[in-house]
Amino acid sequence: MDVFLQTLVAGVLKGGLYALIGLGMTLIMGVMGIINLAHGQFMMVAMYITYVLFHFFGLDPYTTLIISMPSLFLLGVLIQKYLLNPLMKVESILPENQVLMTVGIAMVLTEIARFIFSSNYLSVRTSYSSSAFYLGGISFSVALTVAFGFACFLTLSLFWFLIKTDLGRSIRAVSQDAEAAELMGIDSGRIKVVTMGIGAGLVAAAGTLLLPIYYLFPDIGGPFTRKAFIITILGGLGSTVGAIFGGLTLGLAESFGATYIGMDFEDLVGLVIFLLVLLFVPGGFKRFTKV
Amino acid sequence: MRISSFRLLAIVSSLLISIGLSYAAEGPIKVGVVLPLTGEQAKFGEIEKNSLVMGLEEINKAGGVNGRQIELLIEDDTGKPDVGRSAVEKLISQDKVVALTGGYSSSVTYAVCAVAQQHKTPFLVSTGSSDKITEQGWNFVFRIAPPVSEYPKALNSFLSEIVKPQSVAILYENTLFGQSGAKEFAEQCEKSGIKVLIKEGYEAGAVDFKPLLIKVKAAKPDFVYMVSYVMDAALLMRQSKELNFNPKLFVGGGAGFTLPEFAKNAGNAAEYVFSADLWSPQLPYPGAKEYFENYKKRYGGPTEYHGAEAYGCVYVVADALKRAKELTPAAVRDAMAATDLMTAFGPVKFVSYGKKKQQNALPTYLVQWQKGILETVWPKNVATKPYVYPVPEWSGR
Amino acid sequence: MKRPSGPFLLLVLLLILPLILRDAYYQHLMILVLMWVAIGSGWNLISGYTGQVLFGAAAFFGFGAYTAALLSSKLGISAWWGLPLGGILSVAIAFPFGWICFRLRGPYFALATLALNEIFRHIATIWESLTDGMIGILVMQTFISKLPYYYVALAIAIFSIVTVDLVMRSRWGYYFVSIREDQDAAESMGIDTLHYKMLSLCISAFLIGIAGALYTNYMGFIDPKVVFSLHEISIMAILVGIVGGVGTIYGPLVGAFIMVAVQEIFRTGGFGILHFIGQSTGWPFMSGIIKYVSEAHVLSFGILVIVVILFLPNGIVGDWSLIRKSLVNSKKPAV
Repeated sequence: MDVFLQTLVAGVLKGGLYALIGLGMTLIMGVMGIINLAHGQFMMVAMYITYVLFHFFGLDPYTTLIISMPSLFLLGVLIQKYLLNPLMKVESILPENQVLMTVGIAMVLTEIARFIFSSNYLSVRTSYSSSAFYLGGISFSVALTVAFGFACFLTLSLFWFLIKTDLGRSIRAVSQDAEAAELMGIDSGRIKVVTMGIGAGLVAAAGTLLLPIYYLFPDIGGPFTRKAFIITILGGLGSTVGAIFGGLTLGLAESFGATYIGMDFEDLVGLVIFLLVLLFVPGGFKRFTKV
Repeated sequence: MRISSFRLLAIVSSLLISIGLSYAAEGPIKVGVVLPLTGEQAKFGEIEKNSLVMGLEEINKAGGVNGRQIELLIEDDTGKPDVGRSAVEKLISQDKVVALTGGYSSSVTYAVCAVAQQHKTPFLVSTGSSDKITEQGWNFVFRIAPPVSEYPKALNSFLSEIVKPQSVAILYENTLFGQSGAKEFAEQCEKSGIKVLIKEGYEAGAVDFKPLLIKVKAAKPDFVYMVSYVMDAALLMRQSKELNFNPKLFVGGGAGFTLPEFAKNAGNAAEYVFSADLWSPQLPYPGAKEYFENYKKRYGGPTEYHGAEAYGCVYVVADALKRAKELTPAAVRDAMAATDLMTAFGPVKFVSYGKKKQQNALPTYLVQWQKGILETVWPKNVATKPYVYPVPEWSGR
Repeated sequence: MKRPSGPFLLLVLLLILPLILRDAYYQHLMILVLMWVAIGSGWNLISGYTGQVLFGAAAFFGFGAYTAALLSSKLGISAWWGLPLGGILSVAIAFPFGWICFRLRGPYFALATLALNEIFRHIATIWESLTDGMIGILVMQTFISKLPYYYVALAIAIFSIVTVDLVMRSRWGYYFVSIREDQDAAESMGIDTLHYKMLSLCISAFLIGIAGALYTNYMGFIDPKVVFSLHEISIMAILVGIVGGVGTIYGPLVGAFIMVAVQEIFRTGGFGILHFIGQSTGWPFMSGIIKYVSEAHVLSFGILVIVVILFLPNGIVGDWSLIRKSLVNSKKPAV
């Protein structure tokens, strides 16, 4: 029973972090209709920002959120404005060239990080990095619990933003029907720029929260990009609630897969679930939520 | 007329050849190196490269080989077998190197050795630790470092003399190094009557090892043996601590567990962790300590066994070049096969045993992290500190 | 002279090239180029012509490679049989995969192929009893000389270009393009889109699978990380396709040449020119520059992708008229 409960807790806590990663991706997916294959690399950039602030200025990793999130927002805005938006006007045979562009961006970001920081593994050690508290014999990692709480908070804020503010409503409008929104006088180009910024900012939070318990090197982005698109598809594209479900599902599937099948099957379980959902539940879990 | 023109041709060509020869005699002797200088393994490639360069400069300063300088042509294999192959092909066919050394990752080394063998150019492997590499009967391939199956040699005697465990859990990363290391160790355990309760791989770079560790904890093994690189090693230890998992000992199979980054990253979770190790600056080999100190002074960071292997390699190569009857790959190979040299990495002599050919046989050591310092604890005659065993539980530290 | 003189001259050049270029290193690079021509052509057929972007070319490549390797390691049969068999078995994978996944469109199909790629890599890693996992499989090469490999690779490259060319001249090609342009319109015109997408995918998988088997025979060593690599194979295949020219017959040829050349130029520091400058001038900062340049090949790939997509969305062959125009204009500014 302990094994089961501990696996459950590990899965849920990891799922919270995954949800935060998926949230940004799903937002971008909804508005742009593209899969951002540089998502994990955005996260990597945020982690480097946190590392630099911690290492050279002695800031607590959680404090660096106020710098890493806006920085990534800016990065997202610039990329969308100067690299992705222009593609809408380019005549190309391939409809997927925006996705391919994000692949190029991912490579460039990774290699720039390598230039600056070399391939060395870096980490941020804090007092809470390896501390845990225990509830009835089950251990809860402090840092992961904080990340989980923060993921919930950010999700709620995002909800509030999307539902209550004008900008949020415009984003939802573009997400539902870009052409109609355009006719209603919404500048969809500008909305896309803002959305990319928010998406990048959200994943920046995930990176910063993850860093104290994990480590960092330039190639770290790739695996998280893959996780992000799995979460996005699981959750149903463009659905914020879905992203949370997707993140939790992936976290739980990986944990239970690792415990009851084998750790080497961890990634495989996620991928197989991904393919199954893609094929048989085309809308992802959005189907069940209607948000 | 005809004859004289022929003569002229002969004279001209012999002149050209002699110019070519004299040019070759003046230039440095070229030795090729393949190492990962970019990519994920660049860190270790860098340590080996620095050590090679350091050793080379010492040799050249001392007069080189029979009055000629050695030049190392260092190619980046980026950690990929196909790139390694094209690099080594370039070294052999374009640069005409007489010998090759380097080889960090096992898979790249394996692929590169096949090329060296086919082109009959001697290749002294510095690290590439898969057993297979020296088991192919390749007579142009030598290895200075022990194969991965022998890494836990010292551990085995420690286990049978002190710990006497009944059961083990083996965790390993899914790489050539991890998979073959785990396989060999599991076989050794079963031979000596230790039950392998769990033997499980994982994809390097996992975020959360807890599901795996929970399972291991529930199986209650006497000790845990892990073949991991540095960051996974640190995560495994930290999460074991979080889960309050207390086997009799945690043992690392070399690689990640001996690096300073491991201790830095795992923090106090690294304390009392054992690991197999191939080298330490305290070993009674001539130049070991000097090499360690000089490296630290020059590159501003500590070195470890990978660097020592490379440092040893460049001396072995220079020695073989010195003794070679002529500077052709075949002659250098013959000279290398007859190597009997003491280096900072240990005595080097290429012998054949079991399935292995031209393999340097070296003892290995057991080290333990004590107060953030890696101390050699076994065998006793080279120990720098007594071992700490039994290890206190997490809560009792 | 009739029209096909260009390709004919190219063919003659490729046939005699290794006899002129005796250096094994350049022959090696040419073999790589030819292998990438085959992969690029395969990718181009399904992605460039049929519009179903393949993000997981490595799934078929690796399958072909493992087929060849396992033939030799498990059955003791020459790995050369892997050439036809690797292609055929890749089709056997492509068939059910396409059957199931072609209900997905656009980016979703692309993601499914990516997932297939990753799944195969994991399976090849975990299934140690069959594949030896990450230990990899070593197949001793049949020839020491590069010439036989060169001509086999050339034959495969020609075969793939001719196949794609023939297919695209046929009625199938017309259907493929109409699916790319507008799948719904194609459907309403009575084209069985699933059928033709499957056809296109199977031919692609066949070509890529053969290339994989060639890789095993030539390289003599494979492991899951190498042949199922997302970055080294799948994304490289896309790069070869889009740099050369999406939906063009000779695009993959140009793309393969450029990608291999770019990779080698950076990796070797401009074929040793930088080393030479560094040594002859003795400038201390040259070693730093060499290090950066040799690390920059992936960066250069990334920049290349961005530039090509922004400015030459149809690749070098596809936008050749555009390039030529701008070149001519810059020469004769009076126009």
